[in-house]
Order: sequence, then C-alpha cells, then structure tokens
Amino acid sequence: MARHIRPERAGETALDRVRGRAPTIRANVRRLAAFANVHSCPTAAVAFAARIDTNRILTGTTAEMPYGQSPFAIGRGVAFEVLLRQHGHAELRRVLTEGLGVDFSLAAIENLREGYEPNRTGLTLRASVTRSRMAEIIAAPPEPIVLDGAVLRADIGGLPAFFEADEMAIGVGGEIIVGENKSWPVVDGRPTDEEALGAALDQAATYVLLGRGTLDQAGVDPARVSDNVVLVTPRNTGLAPVLHRQAVTSRVRRVERLLGAVPSVTDIAASTPSSVTFDQVADVTLPEEARLEAFGDVTERLGRVYEPAGCLTSCGFAWACRQCIFAAGDPAVAGGPVARALPGIASLRRAAELASGAPPSSAEAPAAAPVARAGRLYDEAIPANEAAERRPA
Amino acid sequence: MSTALDAMLVGRVYETGRALRRTTLRHVHLADPPLGIAMWRLGGERFRAAAVAWGPLDGPFQLAVAGEPRNRDLYFAALAPFAADLSARIRRAGSLKTARQRGRNTDFVPADATQIVVPNRTTVAALGLLGRYLAYLSDRGGVAPDPALIEAGKHLRFYTRHARVPGQSLIVPLDRLVADQWATLLSPFEQANLAALDAQIEPPAGTHAFEAAVAAEALARIGPEPTEDIDRLTDTLLADFNAARNGNTNPAVVEPLIGPLRDHYRGLVEPVWQLMGRVVAREQQLPTAPSVLRRFEADREAFGRHVDWVTGGGRYRTTDTPRQAAMTLRRLEDTLARYEAERAVEDPACMIPHLLDGDAVRGVVASVAEHRVRGRVNMVRRALIALDTDEPVVLPAGKKMWWTATAGDHPWEVQAVHPQGSGSRITFMLCAAPTPARLPTAGDRITLSTLHTRTDAYRLPLPQDPPWTHRPPVPPPPPQPIDMGDPEPPPAAVDGTAVPDPGRYA
Repeated sequence: MARHIRPERAGETALDRVRGRAPTIRANVRRLAAFANVHSCPTAAVAFAARIDTNRILTGTTAEMPYGQSPFAIGRGVAFEVLLRQHGHAELRRVLTEGLGVDFSLAAIENLREGYEPNRTGLTLRASVTRSRMAEIIAAPPEPIVLDGAVLRADIGGLPAFFEADEMAIGVGGEIIVGENKSWPVVDGRPTDEEALGAALDQAATYVLLGRGTLDQAGVDPARVSDNVVLVTPRNTGLAPVLHRQAVTSRVRRVERLLGAVPSVTDIAASTPSSVTFDQVADVTLPEEARLEAFGDVTERLGRVYEPAGCLTSCGFAWACRQCIFAAGDPAVAGGPVARALPGIASLRRAAELASGAPPSSAEAPAAAPVARAGRLYDEAIPANEAAERRPA
Repeated sequence: MSTALDAMLVGRVYETGRALRRTTLRHVHLADPPLGIAMWRLGGERFRAAAVAWGPLDGPFQLAVAGEPRNRDLYFAALAPFAADLSARIRRAGSLKTARQRGRNTDFVPADATQIVVPNRTTVAALGLLGRYLAYLSDRGGVAPDPALIEAGKHLRFYTRHARVPGQSLIVPLDRLVADQWATLLSPFEQANLAALDAQIEPPAGTHAFEAAVAAEALARIGPEPTEDIDRLTDTLLADFNAARNGNTNPAVVEPLIGPLRDHYRGLVEPVWQLMGRVVAREQQLPTAPSVLRRFEADREAFGRHVDWVTGGGRYRTTDTPRQAAMTLRRLEDTLARYEAERAVEDPACMIPHLLDGDAVRGVVASVAEHRVRGRVNMVRRALIALDTDEPVVLPAGKKMWWTATAGDHPWEVQAVHPQGSGSRITFMLCAAPTPARLPTAGDRITLSTLHTRTDAYRLPLPQDPPWTHRPPVPPPPPQPIDMGDPEPPPAAVDGTAVPDPGRYA
C-alpha cells in the first residue's frame, strides 16, 4: 500500500539528499543576515534552505575561506556579557535605567541561557517561556521585565527555526523593546566599526519582525514591539557599557522582504534535479580536484550569481565560485559594475577583442561601442609599447 | 565615471594576464623615503596596537611590542619610543620653514612635511583610533601620562583626519594608491588587499595575475586586524608571557620575557615592510603630475598649522561643531572637484572617463578666427574655433567648456554643433579677449571639458551661530576620560570551540 508523505517531509528528504555529507548549521540571525547578501544566488539559496554550513564544506581544499575568529575577540565579547550579568545584572540595570529613563533596579530579569539544554528541546522551551513573558509585558506590569537570551520561533522556507536574541523583550509600560549587546566600542557617540553597527541593527530588526510575528499569532497588536531598538556597547577604550537607541523601521521592512524571498523547501525539493548533491563536495576522502570539480558541476546546474562584495563577506563558497567564473571568463569576477557594463558580451576575452576593434554581433553592439571607444582612447593615451616600457622588469 | 573604461581594462587584463596602468603620471607626492608605519592589533581590541613597526621605508624598521597591550603600563611603555620618535620627526620637519610670497604678503610654510605611508586604509583608521586614545589621555591614579604619547596622539589624529582630503600626500594608504594607478581583475572589495594588488601587477613568470592574486590573498597577512591563526599563536605566547611576568610591569623583568612575542610580530611585519617598499619604489618610477607640487604645498601648509598649534599647547575638539563640519565638508568637496580636474587635464589617461561620459570632447581644430561681438556694453574681440571631433557629439548651445591647456583660465562657450563626416563640427567662442596663449592653432588635436582648475570665488565664512535646524536640542555632554573602565585584569582569550555560538561575538 502506498504511504502518504507530507509535503514538508518530502522536502526534508530531498534536502537530505542535496546535503549528503555536507556539514550543517542551524539557522540563526547571523546566518540569515549573511544570506541576505547573497539571496539572489540559486546555489546559496539551496544551501541556505538545506542548512549547509558553507564555511566548512570545503575544508581541506584551497578554496576553503578563513572564517574563524580571534580568541581575543571572543574573549572580549564573553567578558562584556559577563560584566552585564554579574552581581544580579547590576550593570545591565544601571545602563537600562540611565538610557531608557525608567527605573530597572527592581526589574525582573530572567536569564534564559541558563537552565535549559543547549539543543532543540531547550530552544523550544525557551521559545515557549519567551512567548509567555511577552504576554506578561503586554499586560503592563508595574516593574519592567527583561528577558536575557529570549528565543523566537519562525518558519524559514517552510522549516521551523529558532532565533536567539540578547535582551529581546525589555518590557516598559506595555511596550516591548528589542536589545542587542555588542562588544565593539563607541567613541564620541560614533561606532568604531560602521559595518558592525549595520550588522547589529539588522539583527535587531530581525528580532523586531519575529517578535511582531509572535504577537500577531497570539492575536495581540504587533505594533507593541517597538522599532526603536536598544544597543548596549562599551564606551571608549574600556568595557563600561553605554546604551544607544536607534530606529530600525526601514531595516524591518528589508528583513521582511528577505524572509519572504527565502525559497521554500518544498519548492526546492521540486525544482532541484535529483542528481544534484553536495555529497562529493564535502567528501574529505576525495582529492581536491574532484571535490572542486563536483562543486563546479553542482553550481553550474543550480545557477550561480557571484557578486564579490556580498559573496566574499557572507558565503563560504565565494573562493570556489570565483575560481569557476574566472575559468569561464565571466565579467562578474571584477564586480557588478563591470558585469553590468558588458550585457550581451559572453566573456572577458571577447570584451578584450571588442576593445581592440573586433566587429561586434548584433547582440553585442550596444555594449561593444563604448568598450571599443574606451580601447581606442586608452591606446591613444598609453600606447601598448609605452605601457610595457614603464612596467618594471 | 564610465564603467566602459573599467570593463575594457578588465578584459585586457584578463587577456594579457597582467595589470595595466590607469594613469600616465603619478598624482601623489612620494617622499624619498617616506616614513612607513605598519601595525597589528589584538583581535577585537580596536585601541590596542599589539605591535607597531615604523621607520624610513628604505631601511630596517623599529618595532614596539607591548607584550600585553591591554595593560596600560606595559602598553604605554612600549609605545613611548614610537611616540617620541614620531613627535621628534614631525617637530623637526615643522620647524624648517621657507618663505612664500603671496601678493604683498609673505608667509612661512614648512619646506617639507613628514610623509607617512601605511599598507592600507584599515591602518589609517587604526592609527586614528590610536590617536584618539593617546591624544586625550588623562591622569590616572594621580600619575600624568607621558607627554610624548599625548603629542603623538594629536599628530596621528591630525594625519588620519587629513587623509580625507582628496589628493593629499601626508598619509598614503598604499592600497588606495595602487588601486588608483593600476587596473586589475580585483573588485573594489578585494582591492583592500595590498598583496593581491601587488601580485596582479607583478605576477610570477608564467602565472596569470588572477592566480597570483589568489595565492597572495590566501597567504599574505597585512594587518592591522589579525586572523584567527595569528591570534591563536599570539594567545599561546601571551599566556606564557603573562605567566612568567606574574603581574610584574617592571621593564627590567618584562624585557627579557618579551622575546618570543617580539619575534612573532617581527615575522609578521617583515613581509609587509618589504611589500610596502616594493610598491613605493615601483610607483616612484612614474613621472609626477605637475599639480602634485601645488597639492603638496597645501599639505605642507596644513602640516605647518598643525605643528604650530600642537607645539604651542593647542588642543583639538573630539567632535566637530555643526559649523566646523559644514565648512569642512564644503572644503573637501571643493578640493575633490579641483583634484579630479587636475588629474584629467594633466593626464590623458584620466581624461578617458570624461570623454566617454560626454563631459569632454576631443578633436582637431579646423579653423581659428577672430570676431567682434557685443559684450555687456561695448563691442569686444572674441575668438571662434571650429573643432572636428572623431565621434558624434551632442552639446547644448551656451555650454561652457575649458581647453585642457588653459584649464585655469576662461572657458569656451558652445555656439553650434553640426554633423561632420563620422563626427561633429563644434563651434566654440572664447569667453575672454583672445591672446596667443589662449588660442590653439589650426590642425592641433585638443581636448575641451567641463573640468577647470580655476580657484572659485572667495567663500564667505558661515555664521558663528548655526541655524536652529543644526542645533542639538540639548548640548552634547562633555567627553568622558577615554580610558575610564579599562578592565583589569584584561579579558581572557576564549577559543571559538569553547562557546556554543562564537558568531555572536563577531
């Protein structure tokens, strides 16, 4: 008798096949932020849906990208969190009181990182407690409530995922404020790392969106989650914490669009050819050439969108993809602006021919004209023999 | 800027396997030798220079290694020789002045300025943070910090703020210099890696520029931010060092223990130092653009003002007022416009994007004639030229353009544009009385563009009180001591495998 298979079970089975021996990683807010930078790439989308750890799949090959963190950087982050929590969260209470103008000395602060198993069961329980506490906050209790290590559940691409926040759910006057701790310093009111600030605000925006979703499911007005988030960072050279408020309205909209763009596992299961798998790519017993060849084959069949700035900062496939597109002479190797300047021109080799006066085809003509003119002007300004003379031996 | 030029260059670099020159001239002053600075920080510790290497770039470097840079005593003791040497060099350069005549006024500017070269823009930012730290040190435990540290901090802060000035040469991040001068296969993001840039310019024989850059990127460590593998080793050495000194900060005790850490950082700095020397030597071979002299004079002027201010005991605000910020922005925008114009009118390779974008036209002068036209009141002499361009051109009548040979003088105004052969014939009229120096001759191949190097009219200073739109509702709080709250002892290093979610601390 034929067994009925639920769609999501079929999807998971298909993704198991796509994953093969590839190492996996749990979806979290940083993984989501990283995917945001490469979401237009079909290969990255399949890897994200299949929960493949792109940083570790190419371990042992020359295409493995460095992704680890300095132990000093981790140590600083851990020390900053410890500082906020020690002595009954004394520093956290102080900084929230000063920053939000509400007395947190008697606030109920619950640390959900302690007392729960570090596994899926623990996360499920923490998500349940988070939902309960959010409901309490909405009822506007007399004293503020702070949840340290709140967990929110969301469906990403049709599969459930848990997202762990820092001070998600700072409850003040019936309003929920999202908080995030970061150990990079702020000096003179400015961050020492603008990119890190952007990433932190993106994370906070994700928690705002997920928190609103949680309230919405409970039939409560989602607007009770404020889009004015809180960022706690060290001030100046030490670790003394200071609080900043920042509106993330536009970031929330962006994250919402992004979550909507994550392909569903059932769609991926239906659209991915049954022979596509990362199994060989992850197989450390195979020689490097075979693994990279298998990678090239998989990405060729799934489709590949390489954009250096996004891929090199966010995807562990980037070096391997870069090698593939260089081999193909794809203009994207030098970045999006160059690729967009060459529509209809198949390769960089062809672009070089057109720049030297080769007649273009009708498809190439629009892009070829400025390229050919650039070639003529360049040859006029720097004749080829002169450029060679100026180059050191 | 035209992306067609970039696309053409990338195609040719791919085809030839080597980087290509973007310019025919060097648009940045390079001292011989400049003062090189390379540094390494501890991971995540943005104010802690674990090692600073400095010295004239044509020789060996001096190296300051604190051992434990998160210990204030050890850190400042290690930085003291660097601070003293930097301050002495800058004071010396600032004190040797030369007279400059401007109209009836004579002023004095430094004959030279200390030029600093660093491997990349990240190092400029790191030096800025170090300067912000040192320049505003306060007493701690009743002990005043070394004045040389404070002075060096002010210098570093000045240099990093001056780095924003387009075309300046006081502090030169080599990644920017090379990326501006060479076309490679590297995307803008990858151009931050000086080793990869260098590999594309001079790949090993038989190796394509791309392959050479990939190999260099995987192996090279430039700093200042360490990679995980570097800091794992640093962690081991630092733990041994801290255990051996047992909390002691006495130089007599610490100095004999610091050898392994010093060797560790020396090994990291040496390839970077060689790379910097190689890059500077290569760029020095290119002839200097004429306007570099003027821009470096402006640098020397700013340098002299800064040295006079600091040696006179002056202090700088930590944050600009709204008025300062607005005036600085305007000055930077004006400087950028003039820098771009100077590059383009002096260097035919830098004019290409403007030709492609339609901001410039190039052609052969078909005729030069003189006419009398009605000026504002009287009839005046004016020159008319007919220019035959290679390409068809669309230009509105009345558009003003400058001939590159007289880009600091009066413009030419477009009178008419007609098709001519495969290109166009443009009639221009000079907006001033014709003189031989202002006129091309028939048969000359010339370029006119919208870019000019004429100094704009005198700008009135902004009112002292900013409008209400630019006033904060409450005045900003006074700055707090920069090193308040330093943890003692410093946080312990934590291995990424020992925490459940190391990504949280990125």
